[in-house]
Amino acid sequence: MLVTKPAAELCSLLIDELHGELPSRIFSTLLNKGRSTLPQLAQYTAMTPRQLRHGIAVLIQHNLLYYHLEPGSELAFYEANIDHAYNLIRTGKILEMVDTSFGAPAKDVVQNLLLSGQTRISDLIAAYQGKMDQVNKATAHAASDDPFGPETNGVNGDSSPKKPGLPVKSTAQLNSVICRLVEAQLIDVVHTKTFESPQDILKTVEKEVIDKHFRGGVKGTKAKAELESLVAEGLRKVRDESKSLKRKLEQNGAASKRRKLFAGAGTANGGLDEEVDPLLDPKQVIRINYEKCLVDLRNRRLVQFATDVFGETTAYVYGILLKLLTKDLARCRPDPVMDSRKDDDDRQGISSVSTAQILDNLKTSVDLSLGMGKADRQQISSRAANKVHENPPKKKTLIEEAEVVGDASADEDEDGGSNDESDYDSDYKPSANGTNGTNGVNGLNGTNGAKVKFDDSAANKDRRLDRPTQLRQHLLLLAESPQRFVRHCGQEDWTVDFEPLMGALREAELDWMIENTSGQQGLRLVRILRAKGKLDEKALPNVALMRKSELQQKMLEMQTAGFVHVQEVPRDVKADVKKSFFLWYCDVNRSLDRLLDTSYKSMIHCIQVLDLLREKEKDVLATTKRTDVRGREKDTMRKEYYERYSRFLENERQLFSQVMRLDDLVSVLRDF
Amino acid sequence: MASDASSANPAKIQVLKDALYEEVRQHGSQTRLFTQKDLLDLDIIPNNNISLLIQVVQGLCDDKLLVATANPHTGLAWRWRSREDARKYTSLPDDETVMVYSIIDEAGADGIWNRTIKNRLNMHEAVVKNCIKYLETKGYIASMKNVEHPNKKMYIVANLKPSERATGGPWFTDGELDTAFVEELQAVVFEYIKTNSAYLSSQGQPGGRTRAPKKGTIRGGGAAALDGSGSDARGTKRSAADISNDDDVVVTPAPTSTTGSKSKSSHMIYLPMPPGYKKYPTVPEIAKFIQQSGITNNTTLTEADIQQLVDVLMYDGLVEPITVNRRRGYRVTRAMKQDTVPFHQRQKERETGIGLDKALRLGPEPPSSALTEMPCGRCPVFELCGEGGPVSPKTCVYMLEWLGLEAQVKVAVPAAMVSS
Ligand code: SF4
Repeated sequence: MLVTKPAAELCSLLIDELHGELPSRIFSTLLNKGRSTLPQLAQYTAMTPRQLRHGIAVLIQHNLLYYHLEPGSELAFYEANIDHAYNLIRTGKILEMVDTSFGAPAKDVVQNLLLSGQTRISDLIAAYQGKMDQVNKATAHAASDDPFGPETNGVNGDSSPKKPGLPVKSTAQLNSVICRLVEAQLIDVVHTKTFESPQDILKTVEKEVIDKHFRGGVKGTKAKAELESLVAEGLRKVRDESKSLKRKLEQNGAASKRRKLFAGAGTANGGLDEEVDPLLDPKQVIRINYEKCLVDLRNRRLVQFATDVFGETTAYVYGILLKLLTKDLARCRPDPVMDSRKDDDDRQGISSVSTAQILDNLKTSVDLSLGMGKADRQQISSRAANKVHENPPKKKTLIEEAEVVGDASADEDEDGGSNDESDYDSDYKPSANGTNGTNGVNGLNGTNGAKVKFDDSAANKDRRLDRPTQLRQHLLLLAESPQRFVRHCGQEDWTVDFEPLMGALREAELDWMIENTSGQQGLRLVRILRAKGKLDEKALPNVALMRKSELQQKMLEMQTAGFVHVQEVPRDVKADVKKSFFLWYCDVNRSLDRLLDTSYKSMIHCIQVLDLLREKEKDVLATTKRTDVRGREKDTMRKEYYERYSRFLENERQLFSQVMRLDDLVSVLRDF
Repeated sequence: MASDASSANPAKIQVLKDALYEEVRQHGSQTRLFTQKDLLDLDIIPNNNISLLIQVVQGLCDDKLLVATANPHTGLAWRWRSREDARKYTSLPDDETVMVYSIIDEAGADGIWNRTIKNRLNMHEAVVKNCIKYLETKGYIASMKNVEHPNKKMYIVANLKPSERATGGPWFTDGELDTAFVEELQAVVFEYIKTNSAYLSSQGQPGGRTRAPKKGTIRGGGAAALDGSGSDARGTKRSAADISNDDDVVVTPAPTSTTGSKSKSSHMIYLPMPPGYKKYPTVPEIAKFIQQSGITNNTTLTEADIQQLVDVLMYDGLVEPITVNRRRGYRVTRAMKQDTVPFHQRQKERETGIGLDKALRLGPEPPSSALTEMPCGRCPVFELCGEGGPVSPKTCVYMLEWLGLEAQVKVAVPAAMVSS
C-alpha cells in the first residue's frame, strides 16, 4: 500500500478510533519519520518511555508495527505497518463474511481475535473457559425452566444465536472452530518473522542466500537468475511458516472428511466433529490472516457485480464457482517475486473447477431454470456458446476476430451449429407450443387462471432442461459477457482470470462514479475518449451527438473532477494559445488513483464529522457511561437526552457504514 | 489566336461549336471531365485539327458552355455546363460579378465563405459585397449555414442543396443539432434492441424481492420465512414456499407480484438470453426496422447513421456489442434491471403526471457509487476541504444536512442529564 498523505492520516485516525490516542500518535510519528528506535521516538513524541512502551505493546499486539533487530545491535527499529492499520476498517465486513460462511461460533472466535490481536491458543481457551463458567453458573440457577442444560454443549450450534447463551459452548468446540478457520487460511500462525517488514525479510533472505551459495559474488545473468529464484524460494519458505498449522492439520488427514460435515450449515453433529479434530498446541500464537480474508471479500464483491449484470441465479452459481476456485488461493494479488514461478502451490490453487464440482456444491433448493431467458433451439449457436479458451487473454485483446456486420454468415452457421448442438443439447427440446421466441411472453404466464396454469405446466415440463445443462448455461453466460467473468478453459472446466476481470470492475466503478456525478452524457464522452484515444475538441460533438456548447461545459466539469484530461498542442513554434489544438483524452489509471485518494479523504471526513458529533454530544455520551445508566439508557435518561443519544447512535451508524462502503471501493481499486 | 485561325470562318466555327457541345452532353454528366483527346475522339473536329479544336473550345468557354479545369492527372480538361446556367453567366453585368459567381459556383454544395471569396479574388470588400447583393437579388445564390463553422457567412448557388458536410447530416436542422430528434430516435433504437435482445418473462427471480429492500418492496408472506438457518447473505436463499414448490413445475411468481401490485407489467422481468443466442439485432436490422416504422418520414437514414446512434448507446453503457459466429449484434446491458414498460409509454405517463418522481432516462439507473452516496463525492469544494482549511468537515453543512442534523446546530447544554 502506497503511503499517501490521506492514507496515512486515515490510518492514524483509525487507530485512534479503535486503540486510543497514544498508539495513534506513535503510529503517525512512525509514518512521518520512518523507522525509528525507542529513543528516537521518545524524542519525536516527547512521551515518557513508559507511555511509549505501552503504546508500542498495543500496536504490536495488533500487528500494526514491524520491528527489526539487527544482529548484535541493542535497539530495535520500529516501523508502521500501514496495511494492517488500514485493515482495521474491515473488521465488520470480515465478521459478517465469517458469520455467513462458517456460522456464529466462528464469528465469535474471529471477533475475539480481532479485538485482542494475536493470541496464544491457551489464552483464548482460558478466556472462553471463564465465560462458559459464568454462563453455566447462571444457567444452573435457571435450570428448571431451561431445556438446554449445559450438557447439551454444541449440539444445537445452529439455534444458539437466538437463544441466550454463548455461541461457543465448549473448549472442544472452540478447538474445532479454530481448526476449521485455520484450514480455510483465515487464521494463521504468528512466527518469528511475522513482525519483520517485507524489506527486512528480503534483505535477510538475500544475505543468507549469498552467504550460502554465492560466496564469490554474483556474476553473469545466469547466476543472477539463480540468485533470484533462490531468494524467491527463501521468501516463500518464510511466508509458508505461517501456514504450518494448516499443514499439520492436513497431514492429519481428517480435513477432507470433516469439511464435508461442516459444509452443511446445520451441524447437528458437532460432537462427531470434535472427536476427529486434533488438539491444537496451546502455545501456538494465532492471528487473523487478512490476505485470505480479502480473497473471500473479493469473491463476494464479484458476486455482487455479477448480480448487477445478470441477476441472482447466475450470480449464485458464480459464487459457488469462485468459492471452489479460490479455496486454496492465499492472496488476491500474486507477489511479483515470490509467485513468478508457474508451478507454485499458490498458483495451482487457481487452476480450474469442473462442472461436476460446481453441481455438487449447489444448494438443492436453488432453481436454476430461473434468471435465464429461453430461445428456440434454432436461435442458439451451441458452437459459439461452447467455445473453449484454453489460455488466458494476452494483454487487452478486445476485438478477437474479424467481425462481419450483418447476418451474412448466419446461414452457413445453421448447419455447423446444429451438428454439434446434438452433443450437448440432446435433451433440449423446443417448447411444445413453440411460441417462446424472443419476446414470447405467451408461453409462460403462470399467473392466469387455474386451467391455463395446468396447460402451462405441461409445456414447461417439456421445455425444462436437466440441471447440469441449466448450470452449464449459467456458466456459459458468464463466460460470454464482455467483462469475462469466467473463462471456459476446457470442455467441462471453468476458471477466472482475476486480473483482467478486476480491471473491468475497476473501470465499472469509475463509470458509476462518472455517471452519478456527470450524468449519462458525461459517461458517454469519457467512454468515447477511452475507445478512440486522444480527440480534438472539434471532433467530439459529431461522435457524441451533442451540442457543442453543452459538450464543452461537460468536458470542463469532468476535467475538474479528474475524469478527463486535456493536452495542448501548439500549432507552431510560437505556441500561441489561441491557435493551439486541444486534445482531450482519458487516462483511466490516473482517474482511478484520484478516485482512491478521494475515497481516503472522504473516509477521513466521515471520521472527523463523527469526532465533531462526539464532541457536541459529550455530555450525553458521558451520561451513558455511568454504570447506573449503562444498558438501561431508555429508562434512566430523560426523554430529550435519550433522543439525542439515539440520534447520535443513528448518525454514528450512518457514518460507519459509509466508511465501510467507501472501503468497498478502496478494496476494488487497491487490493483486489 | 486570331492569326492562327484565319482559315476558319465564324459560321463554320458556330456549327462546330453547337455540334461539339451537343456531343459532349451526350457523353456524360456535368461533372465529367473531358480531356483534349476525349474531345478530338468525338469526331466532330475534322482531321483532328488541334488549332480548330482550340478555337471551338475557346468559343464555348466564352459562352460559358464549357468550363476549363486544370487537373493534376490529366492536365487541362473541360466539363460542360447547361445552357440555362450559362445564360446566368452571360447575363451578369460585369466581370467582377462573373468572377464572384463562378467562384461560388465552383465551391459547389459545400458553399463558400465570403471572406474566402474576397481573398481569392483579391478584390475590395465593397466590390464583393455589391456583387453578392446583386446575385442574391437575382436569385442566383443563397446564403447558407455550415455546421462546422456556424459563425461564417457562407454562400451557395441557389439551385443546389447544401452538402451533408455543411448541414451536418440527418441530425441537423437549420445548422443546429436537433437533439430532440436524436433523442427520440435513440429511444426507438434502444427499445428495439431491448425487446429483441432480452427475454420478457413473468418468472420470479429468487431473492429479487429480498435483495432490494431499498426500493420499498413489500415482503410477501413467503419471504418472511427467511429464517436464520442456512441463510445466505447473497440473497440466494429462497423462502420455504419456493422450496416446497421445487418439484412442482410451475414457477411460483415472486411474492412481490402477489402482494397486490397495480400494473401487470410490474412482475414482468427481462432476462438475459441464453448463451450462444444468435439473433441479437444487428445494425442493418435496426436500420431496416427504423425505415419500415416510418418514424423518420422525410429523412432517410443510412446504416452508417444508425451505427452512429447505436455507438452512442454503447458509449452510454446501455447496449453492448456481442459477436456470435462473426455476426455482430447488440444487446442491452443489465437485462434484469431494465424497465419492462416501453420508454414511450413512460413518456406518455409523465404527461399525465405519473412517475414524475423518477428521472426519465433510457435504461436503469447506474449502481450508486460509494462516493456519491455522501456529500463529499459531489462536493464542489472538496479540494479545499480539510482540517485547518477554508472549509473543513467539522464546519461542513453538507455533512450535517446529510445526517439530518441541520436543524440543531447549536444546542444549549442543560445541567441535569438524567431524570431522577
Ligand atoms: S466534508 Fe463537506 S466541505 Fe468537505 S468535502 Fe465533504 S462535503 Fe465538501
